[in-house]
Amino acid sequence: MENNNKKSSAFNSYCLNPDIKFDTREEGEKVSLLLRSHPFTQIGWILVSILLVILFFVANFFIGKIFDLKQLFIINLFFIVFIFSFIWINVLNWYFNVGIVTNKKIIDIDFYSVIYKEITVAQLGKIEDITVKSGGFFGSYFDYGSVFIQTAGSAVNVEFINVPYPSEVAQIINKLLGRKHGSQ
Amino acid sequence: MDLNNFLSTINEIEIKNIFFMLFTMVFAIFYFFYALVISKQVQVMNKALQDKYNWLVLFVTSLQVTASLIILIIVLLSMFII
Repeated sequence: MENNNKKSSAFNSYCLNPDIKFDTREEGEKVSLLLRSHPFTQIGWILVSILLVILFFVANFFIGKIFDLKQLFIINLFFIVFIFSFIWINVLNWYFNVGIVTNKKIIDIDFYSVIYKEITVAQLGKIEDITVKSGGFFGSYFDYGSVFIQTAGSAVNVEFINVPYPSEVAQIINKLLGRKHGSQ
Repeated sequence: MDLNNFLSTINEIEIKNIFFMLFTMVFAIFYFFYALVISKQVQVMNKALQDKYNWLVLFVTSLQVTASLIILIIVLLSMFII
């Protein structure tokens, strides 16, 4: 497989055989893949953060005339804290929104809007169909896309949105499915 | 304190400063609670997903809570200094 020699690194969005643990891990369960959104898809909030930093310096020229030194200090403190919080919440959203593929199941962990957490688990035996969607200029250039995993019956479907190397992800899942069905 | 004394005190401080103090106070309190909520949620997510870089996430989150507390103290102190 083309990308199987890729190693895990800090905040990597495509980690093969990562050393992680999660809530619903069973005895003898081996993690094959850990996925996060492709770093390029985070460009929106990164650009907004840069704009906020520029705005911070520009605003200081104007508000310096309105407020005294103590007030200016507190305003600047709030502005810095606001920018930091904006960056941090986006980093957390990216870091904790993961897709995990193990030899027994597929897990989608979502953390959004600060207080919401959603964990979707699909057993490998219940997977019926895998769809890979990748498109657009940046999607093709940086090789990222979405993987939709359809499960049998009323079980919830799993979606990995904007993950790197979607074809390889589908390939790995298919390989695990083959092993699972082969062992049954 | 009677009404006349109270009004004269308000005039001394200036309306702009009162608004500024109120705004900063409210913002500091909200930010403190926001940092606490984020901290709690990160702890929950830390149990849900244990990765080798979780210590860094926890460290930065605890820094955020500390910073929010420091800001709250600064704002409270500034109320008496301004």
